[in-house]
Amino acid sequence: MWEFWNRSLDASTIFTLAALGELFGQRAGVLNVGIEGVMLFGATLGFIAAKMTGSYLIGLLVALLVGALLGLMHGFFTITLGGDQVVSGMGIWVVAFGLTTYIGSPFTGPLGLDRIPRLGGITPFFYLSVFMVLVIWFVLTRTALGLSIRSVGENPSVAEVSGLSVTRTRYFCVVVAGMLMGLAGAVYALDYNPVWNYNFLMGWGFIALALVFFSLWNPWILLGGSLLFGALWQLSLNPQLVLPGIMSRYLWRTVPFVVTLLVLLLMSTAWFRARWGAARPEALGEPYFKE
Amino acid sequence: MTLGVYELKLTRRAGLGGRQAARISSLAILMALALFSVLFILADVSPWSAYVEIARYAFFNTFGLPLTISRFIFLLLCTFAFIIPYRAGLWNIGMTGQLYMGSLAAFGVALALGAKQGRMVHPALATTLLVGAAMVGGAAYAAVAGFLRGRFNINEIVVTMIMNFSAFWLVSFMIKEGGPFTGGGGEGEGFPLPKAFVGPLVAGVPYTFLIALVLAGVLSFLLNKTRLGYEIRAFGKNPVAAQYAGISPFRISMIVFLIGGALAGLAGYHYFAAVPGVYRIPKNYGYFGDLAFYGIICGLISLGNPLAAIPVSFLFGGLSIGGRFVQGKFHMNFGVDYALLGVLMIVLVGFQFFYRYEIVWRKKE
Repeated sequence: MWEFWNRSLDASTIFTLAALGELFGQRAGVLNVGIEGVMLFGATLGFIAAKMTGSYLIGLLVALLVGALLGLMHGFFTITLGGDQVVSGMGIWVVAFGLTTYIGSPFTGPLGLDRIPRLGGITPFFYLSVFMVLVIWFVLTRTALGLSIRSVGENPSVAEVSGLSVTRTRYFCVVVAGMLMGLAGAVYALDYNPVWNYNFLMGWGFIALALVFFSLWNPWILLGGSLLFGALWQLSLNPQLVLPGIMSRYLWRTVPFVVTLLVLLLMSTAWFRARWGAARPEALGEPYFKE
Repeated sequence: MTLGVYELKLTRRAGLGGRQAARISSLAILMALALFSVLFILADVSPWSAYVEIARYAFFNTFGLPLTISRFIFLLLCTFAFIIPYRAGLWNIGMTGQLYMGSLAAFGVALALGAKQGRMVHPALATTLLVGAAMVGGAAYAAVAGFLRGRFNINEIVVTMIMNFSAFWLVSFMIKEGGPFTGGGGEGEGFPLPKAFVGPLVAGVPYTFLIALVLAGVLSFLLNKTRLGYEIRAFGKNPVAAQYAGISPFRISMIVFLIGGALAGLAGYHYFAAVPGVYRIPKNYGYFGDLAFYGIICGLISLGNPLAAIPVSFLFGGLSIGGRFVQGKFHMNFGVDYALLGVLMIVLVGFQFFYRYEIVWRKKE
């Protein structure tokens, strides 16, 4: 049972990092539906770098860099060119899906390094993810920078008039967001499941995206949601540990996705919206053009 | 910006004519193929000979051409499944899940009719029932996304994508480890369809060819000449204005997803029940699901025009078949066809800009 909860923490770490990145970008008004794509790139290139150099550190740095570059690209398409954020995000996902399959295929198989040591029996990235939640929460709610980020996400024209650069703020946020998503991918490929296979995320990024809506854009609720979904995901992978012999293991794999849908449904009801609907950044998904 | 004696200026396009759109789209495809050459060069393959081999195998080879045609029909149907919601401003990226569910429904009907026991059924009846089931299965699955979007305004991308994954595992459940659709061999694939149940060939080509081409005309008519088509387009252009004009967002969202899902279900039926040599839900069904993403690209390049989707799907059908061929011939990494998908997508995202803006240049005075 301890093993199960421990693996759940591993899984929730990945959800937390990826969703936290998305949350940070969304607070500045930039939606990136391509989380899974950034994660795939971070996971694949981080995996290859670590395998070729034998260094986890280099693998993680490569993943951070790739994430930052993809964030920059998303920013270029949506902020500079003013393109549709959904198109660009979908693009990132399809590109990642296609290219990582090709780039990674010679590296199919296990990483072949000693596992990353655990701290107090728990993956070190879990502490990192909780620390990052704290940092992002602090920045967003307790600093001048956070105030500018939030105002850019709520009402960019007013923010611009009051002397902020919408472009610069949004770029900063999408790059940080990309780095967190890339890191999440690397944690998956280097720590959680160090065996490369094509398209091996199978939905982690999309669940992370749903988690952001679920969190009402609050980092602490997001952490709670990640813990919940980490356990749920782990249960769907190893149902025999907790509830043996109830359903086919394939049917168990559908459970996190079904639950995600139900959660999204609950959150979108009039009852829920009337109470907590205002949390959504007002300008989310809308390109901003300077007048 | 000035460049020598020329002055360059960006202007927002007022509208986009058919010919202009075709020109930009062709340019995007050429650009993607040029960019894709880099992959061949990195793999020590001359891009020229690679493209020649791709074209020769995909379009002029007696083994390759039938594969291309089957792939083309599949991509065209997936493209339609993307286009109809796309014209209403909605993103159906759930073709994968919808085609799985359509296939499961079709094979479920086959099972109910006694396909596993080898019972005789009139071929025309069996075919009709299977096609109907596939369309209903796909439509029902897509309807969830349409309903959630129309009624609760839940992002349809998240929903359709998440439903892709659950459908993927559902298919595994049905065809693997003693699931209800398991084949006799215990090889982790679905049961084979008996002869009476498989789609007939017309001139050596799956008959679904005809369905897909007729659909191109029907959908084009629907979008351009009917009241419903007008409502779909109006809603896609400006949902708020459309609502003032009395167009119900719920109705539009339901209708486009029902149509899209039915078409995706048909695509699943086509590959698993009408293409020679398959006639079952294969072990690697995930590969066919992945291919459905080409539908997004074909739909974007053809700007949501069902007729323009025909040549585009044919080209990409050939490229994906030929890509697999050169991958084997030149001993390249697995996934040349996946990489092509990626490169095309990134170029297209960049080109979205040119559909909205144009670069005007004139000589400086």
